Amino acid sequence: MKKFWIIAACATLVVGMVSCNKVRRSPGRAYMPDMAYSRAYETYASTEALHNKGVNYTGMPVAGTIAKGDMLQVYTLPNDSAGYAQSKNVTNPLPALDAKEFVEAARLYLINCAICHGEKLDGNGPLWKGGDGPFPNAPRNLLTDPVVANMADGTMFHSITYGRNSMGTLWFPINYKATLDDRPLYK
Amino acid sequence: MARKLTLFVLSLVVSSTINTISAQDVAAGKALFMGKCASCHQVLKAGTGPALAGLEGRHKWSDHNELLKWINNPAGYMASDAYTQGLKAQYGSMMSGFPEITLKDVGDIVAYINSAAVPVVDKIPPGGPEPAKGNSNAVIFGVISLILGIIALILMQVNSNLKKMSDDAEGITRPDPVPAYRNKVYIAMAAIIFFVVGGYLVSKGAIGLGRQTNYQPVQPIYYSHKVHAGINQISCLYCHGAAWDSKHAAIPSVNTCMNCHKAINEYVKGPKLYDESGNEINGTLEIEKLYKYAGFDPKNPTKWDPTKSKPIEWVKIHNLPDHVYFNHSQHIRAGKVQCQSCHGEITAMDEVKQVSELSMGWCVNCHRETKVDFNYSEGKGNKFYSIYEKFHNDIKNKKMDSVTVKDIGGLECQKCHY
Repeated sequence: MKKFWIIAACATLVVGMVSCNKVRRSPGRAYMPDMAYSRAYETYASTEALHNKGVNYTGMPVAGTIAKGDMLQVYTLPNDSAGYAQSKNVTNPLPALDAKEFVEAARLYLINCAICHGEKLDGNGPLWKGGDGPFPNAPRNLLTDPVVANMADGTMFHSITYGRNSMGTLWFPINYKATLDDRPLYK
Repeated sequence: MARKLTLFVLSLVVSSTINTISAQDVAAGKALFMGKCASCHQVLKAGTGPALAGLEGRHKWSDHNELLKWINNPAGYMASDAYTQGLKAQYGSMMSGFPEITLKDVGDIVAYINSAAVPVVDKIPPGGPEPAKGNSNAVIFGVISLILGIIALILMQVNSNLKKMSDDAEGITRPDPVPAYRNKVYIAMAAIIFFVVGGYLVSKGAIGLGRQTNYQPVQPIYYSHKVHAGINQISCLYCHGAAWDSKHAAIPSVNTCMNCHKAINEYVKGPKLYDESGNEINGTLEIEKLYKYAGFDPKNPTKWDPTKSKPIEWVKIHNLPDHVYFNHSQHIRAGKVQCQSCHGEITAMDEVKQVSELSMGWCVNCHRETKVDFNYSEGKGNKFYSIYEKFHNDIKNKKMDSVTVKDIGGLECQKCHY
């Protein structure tokens, strides 16, 4: 009987060790949970506990408040064909970029635009790759395409703000005045 | 005879040239299509404009002259044509005109469309996950130690037998040998080994408490960083742009995903995807999960209302305890640290896992070794460091050759704990 228990214990140990998966799906335990986990509500943390307590918390800004750097409060043309047509009359209120701002403009272009429109502005970024990339529509060649060459600054701003055709809305870099002047980037 | 032959050859040459001229040139058509049409049209799917497959069966387009008139001057053609007016209403905008296109170009483009309209069923290149390599070294070492252990036992047995035989021969009588489990030397040795090994395991486990190295949770959508940041070379900052400006690297909003995935609605061109247990993942279904969160109907893209989208509840992988302050912008913008130096080779991970242990020793070691870009005088570097006059003087007087994060207070408790 004693032998049976020894064998059983060994077998459990072996099975236990074999069944250990190398993929770690749980974060594990903390030594002092009250020091490790925030008592306050952190960024991205669930607010479910507040709801359960009956607190009305929506996580949305108060109606009528303006986010810092929210361009759509300054740029009022709507996202429709009428707004698009009017956008060509919008002029750039900001002075031309200086050398330092060009460096920042180039950085923003390389991060946000070059994946489609190409590092060299030739409309052949890694998402298109001459038709071999995953993007189904050809990005415009920013150097030679007549549509881009004849586009008013304001229309370009409008298109980048709201997106156009297959291009998504890219409002996030336009807090920088760089955008309106991005065409002479490499010239 | 010779003349006849030359005539024959000549006629062959002439007829073949005529053939190449008259034949619709698929390659030229492809070049034209990619250059002029592909911004708005796809062959098999409707995008900004209608899908072009089966074009000749619609409206009057089997007559290339009609097609040419439409392409050269859409506004003029549409004025007297109900079909194209309907198209404008359906897709929301009129096609741009291409007055430079000729009748031959139209033929070439149509030839390309017809050749590309046959869907390729299995575009995904074959190749499963690599078969798990057994850790052969460990097996070999295990077998060798087992054999050595058995040999040692046999030799000990032989040794005791020989001793007994020599004792018998010399007529010495000794008390019966004590069995191993009651031998005090053996027990003492076993106890020491137990305490050393046990102590090692216990302290290792205790140090590991609260650390999450290799943590690799299942995410609500199988999002492959390898496909996005690796194969398609999207910059980390395209999605995690806040890492440049703020404490948090920030999870991109659904809107950021939809910037590209409004158009990319299937996964066909990349390698096959597998989760960590080796199950195959259907990338197109994962994109459809995104559409559910976004409230986006790929059949009705113009009706999408981004304000109705629901955030995706991604599982946070890299967690620091509440009593530690860490700021992304400070590290990647001021310190110019690459994302990969802490997060590992993200561009090769399908499912992201935590590579670094994110322990205090790990932070401090890096702060000891990392050099600060001190050379503001040369036009580059960070102007903030110009206030460290003593270090600048020491560098000038060759008392020190470089300044590390440690020297400017990178090891002080209050930098991260306050």
